[in-house]
Amino acid sequence: MDNILSVLVFFPAVAGLLGFVVDQKSIKAYGLTVATIEFLLSLWLWFSFDMGNSGMQFVELVPIIPDMGVSYYLGVDGISLFIVIMSTLMTLLGMASMGETKDIKNMIITLLFLEMTMVGVFVALDAIIFYLFWELSLVPMLYIIGAWGGNLRIYASIKFFLYTFTGSLIMLVGMLFVAYTYHNLTGVWSFAITDWYSIVLPVSYQMWLFAAFFIGFAIKVPMFPFHTWIPYAHGQAPTIGSVILAAVLLKMGTYGFVRFSLPMFPDASVMAITPIAIISIIMIIYTAMIAYAQKDMKQVIAYSSVSHMGIIMLGLFAMNAEGISGSVFQMLSHGIVSGALFMLVGMIYDRRHTKLLSEFGGLTAVMPKFAIIFGIMLMASVGLPLTIGFVGEFLVLLGFYNVSPFMTILAGTSIIVGAIYMLRVMKLAFFGPLNNEENKKLKDLNARETWSLIPLVMIVVWLGVYPKPVLTPIDNSVKSLLTFMDKKAITQEAKDMIRVSKSTKEAK
Amino acid sequence: MENLVYIALFAPFVSSLFAALFGMTERKVWIGIVASILLGISWISSVTLAYHIYITGEPIHVTMMDWINAGDIHIPFGFVVDQVSVTMMSVVTTVSTVVHIYAIGYMDHDKSFNRFFSYLSAFVFSMMILVMSDNFAGLFIGWEGVGVCSWLLIGFWYHKEDLPREQNPSISPSWAANEAFIVNRIADLGMLVGIFVIYWNTGTLQYDEVFAQLPNLSPHILTIAAIALFIGAMGKSAQFPLHTWLTDAMEGPTPVSALIHAATMVTAGVFLVIRANPLFAMTPDVSFFIASLGTFVAFYAASMALVERDLKRIIAYSTLSQLGYMFAAAGLGAYWIALFHLAAHAFFKALLFLGAGNVMHAMHDELDVFKMGELRKKMKGTWIYMTLASLALGGLPPLAGYWSKDAIIETAFNEHTYFLWFILVVTAGMTAFYSFRQIFLTFHGEDRHTALGFHPHEMYKFVLVAMSPLAVLAVITGWFMKDYEEFITELLPAYEMSEHTHHLTAYLGLIVLAFAISGIVLAYFKYARTGKNAFKQDANVEQGFIFKLLKNQYYVPAIYERFITEPYKVISGILWTSVDVKIVDATVDGIAKFLYTSGDKTRSMQTGNLSNYLNWMAVGGVILLVVAVISAMIA
Repeated sequence: MDNILSVLVFFPAVAGLLGFVVDQKSIKAYGLTVATIEFLLSLWLWFSFDMGNSGMQFVELVPIIPDMGVSYYLGVDGISLFIVIMSTLMTLLGMASMGETKDIKNMIITLLFLEMTMVGVFVALDAIIFYLFWELSLVPMLYIIGAWGGNLRIYASIKFFLYTFTGSLIMLVGMLFVAYTYHNLTGVWSFAITDWYSIVLPVSYQMWLFAAFFIGFAIKVPMFPFHTWIPYAHGQAPTIGSVILAAVLLKMGTYGFVRFSLPMFPDASVMAITPIAIISIIMIIYTAMIAYAQKDMKQVIAYSSVSHMGIIMLGLFAMNAEGISGSVFQMLSHGIVSGALFMLVGMIYDRRHTKLLSEFGGLTAVMPKFAIIFGIMLMASVGLPLTIGFVGEFLVLLGFYNVSPFMTILAGTSIIVGAIYMLRVMKLAFFGPLNNEENKKLKDLNARETWSLIPLVMIVVWLGVYPKPVLTPIDNSVKSLLTFMDKKAITQEAKDMIRVSKSTKEAK
Repeated sequence: MENLVYIALFAPFVSSLFAALFGMTERKVWIGIVASILLGISWISSVTLAYHIYITGEPIHVTMMDWINAGDIHIPFGFVVDQVSVTMMSVVTTVSTVVHIYAIGYMDHDKSFNRFFSYLSAFVFSMMILVMSDNFAGLFIGWEGVGVCSWLLIGFWYHKEDLPREQNPSISPSWAANEAFIVNRIADLGMLVGIFVIYWNTGTLQYDEVFAQLPNLSPHILTIAAIALFIGAMGKSAQFPLHTWLTDAMEGPTPVSALIHAATMVTAGVFLVIRANPLFAMTPDVSFFIASLGTFVAFYAASMALVERDLKRIIAYSTLSQLGYMFAAAGLGAYWIALFHLAAHAFFKALLFLGAGNVMHAMHDELDVFKMGELRKKMKGTWIYMTLASLALGGLPPLAGYWSKDAIIETAFNEHTYFLWFILVVTAGMTAFYSFRQIFLTFHGEDRHTALGFHPHEMYKFVLVAMSPLAVLAVITGWFMKDYEEFITELLPAYEMSEHTHHLTAYLGLIVLAFAISGIVLAYFKYARTGKNAFKQDANVEQGFIFKLLKNQYYVPAIYERFITEPYKVISGILWTSVDVKIVDATVDGIAKFLYTSGDKTRSMQTGNLSNYLNWMAVGGVILLVVAVISAMIA
């Protein structure tokens, strides 16, 4: 299959369109089938992926507007491969775990469209295509929050839309400017990201462009102080919305840094290390403390997402393979774990129609299975070794230690503050006496819920014990990214800071 | 032999998974039996390995598979069985096998029986990883693993509610569990930093490669690495100021206290210092600090044990105190003596705890020693075991504690750290006093429990039989000290007493013994007698400043609550409601509102009236003109 990436991108959308003619009753089965096929396709992508090749694979290139250099250009490397697989997996499991939903047909179709945009963002190699999918992804999410959300859903969805949209417009300006500069330097127009990589920009240009892209990505991540849309979005979104939002949509921002900022602006990236590290540390500690103060279970997870994204951001700017590989791995880990946690919170919400911690207590006695899975995800979230959460967090902190020991220690408090807010949730919701009458008749997870969580539990353990199949391709691509950055950097500071792995050097 | 390594390591893991399969079903005795058998298998493998190492002197090194490979870091799942790890393996599996069998009897009425065995075996598995790993990252797996198991087991009775500190100093099992986890996490950050320092300066985390490169590193780096690793050790081994969790951990079921919070997990910190002895040997200042802190903790914990009334807490303080002794030895360079004391302590302390468990079982979870008395008549076996263990703990010959503790105290003398020596000697007297205070209050003196409606009965026979190996070990371990020295010093540096100390050995031993015996005698007169000499609570003493200070653990938990937990809670709340909502988010909404209202206001310009539009056009024209003039002037 030469066009596997196109199939991956458009299959869910086409299937979604066809979904309009499917009967309301069978739409969920239909949606699940489509999501399963899509997931299997993405697995197939993995199996036919050449692990030794660190560059772009399965490349498809069809010029659309040759005069302007816009083309339909897709490709996948070790960094994007697993994010794509995670997107298809989380869509599938999120859909599978969905309970009673009103207008389920619309929901399924929306999800399938959303899946298209997510996969599209991660495989696009043309800036215009990337931008299209990037913006299109807002629409289904706007609809999910706005139509199935809580009381403040309109406010939350509009805030989500306008906030991220504003950021991406600034990013678009940056993109246009890069294309313009490219034209000035080479005499031809091109929006292909790989073409953009080849031009060396003066440091002052890099700074401005870095800033423009930064705003677009930072709002998406979301980085402090641009994070305030997220408590509303999560607070109002239905479970499935939160799962996709936390697991996949946030990763678009961090992915953007890897795909655009680091290789295109290596000097500016190195200059940005300290400010970004400071923001990341604020994200880690500040939002962890806010998470601790929350009364609503879902908000704890929402803020914890921001805190974990801080770790990811820190790793990206470690400028060594340990840190960046760890960071990309942490994107997957956070996707799996926060997705699972949102699903769990959704399950208790379906039963009690409240997420307030004060309403719970002693749930372990009536819902042991629920408590066990929550406990496993909690441990993964706080980065226990042999769970998926440790590998990324460890590598990120290890990598950043080479940049700044002091800031690493501050960021490392993540393992403490993270434990504090998560254990508080565990204690308030699951431990203590079962006093609330309403909770006494709660039912434990049913088969549907259990089986949509079990795969995640298995991944958490598998990738915690044996991360190699995933980490190696990521690491290969990251190493070549670093080599590329090192070669391209103009300033001596940047060259000194960017640390090419010994193994890469020896290979030469 | 390689297979034995895997069997020793994975038998507890299989046991844990097996019990977990039945975790949600009702109690099944055979699960406890299967788990105990699997632990027994692990024990046999460990002892066989120990024998093998003893005969051949050749460490066994196995690498199972890769774990994390990224950038230049390569971390395998590798295990090394050498003199140090095999000692730990033997100690851990011995105590855990006994504790597993013991728990069949102790937990017989608990509805979460199966779950308990799953956790307990998982703990043993983690502990085995910790001691067997051949690299720092693998050690960290076990390190965190035992932390989680400890969290699960302290909070085993999760359904209990929080009580005010006055009623229950540990508040609740789930509170104590969280406290233990979080405090350990603080230390683990130190440990991680140590790992990072080692990695970036040596490029590896494998013990042998790291130690081989140590001489090339600057003293500055070595000191940072040593300090960071020791911070990690302080958490697990509950050294001041990270010690409060250990006494609160007594909320867990007693077999847990015996295994985790006395014999094995809490010694992980000592193990780390022993394992990394090449590093600590090169950083004398850090080592001296370790010794001083250990000595301080030995005394500090012993002082709190003097006034404690809770049976398990007394033993917990004594654990803290003995950990202090171990650190004192390790810090002074007598690594093998520290390890020997660790092993001896594991045996008699586990025995003591299990005995306390019998008492607790008999007294329906009552732990106040003031409510006991004269139990020896009803619980003879337990009485003998606990007395034996206390004699060993108090350091009376020929029991295990005498040999190991005496060697530590002698080391302090030999190193000319006379002040440490003095404190350790005094502490030895205090140890004997509080141990026997507890024995006499529990088993001797007036019968105080019958009046309170307790009708204690002895523990099951098989439980008492299961405890016997520990009793034997508590007696005989010390007799093999010389042999053990030969065995262990093949790996650990030998420690020779100077000629001067050698001459004085007999006197030094006598001084310690004199302190210990006077402690026991004092305890006897105060607490063991009956009739008109019987022990009575003395209100004058209990109102005294020192008593209150000790009773409230030097107010350390209160200080932590007042200055750390409470402010953290308050600041978190302020950050949320005042900063995040009122400043950060309000700014965003403010910008949006500004745009919205300005749009709304300017909308009134769109009147559809032509003359209005002309007016606005004139205004715009004037503004443009002004701008043009100004910019022309600037240019």
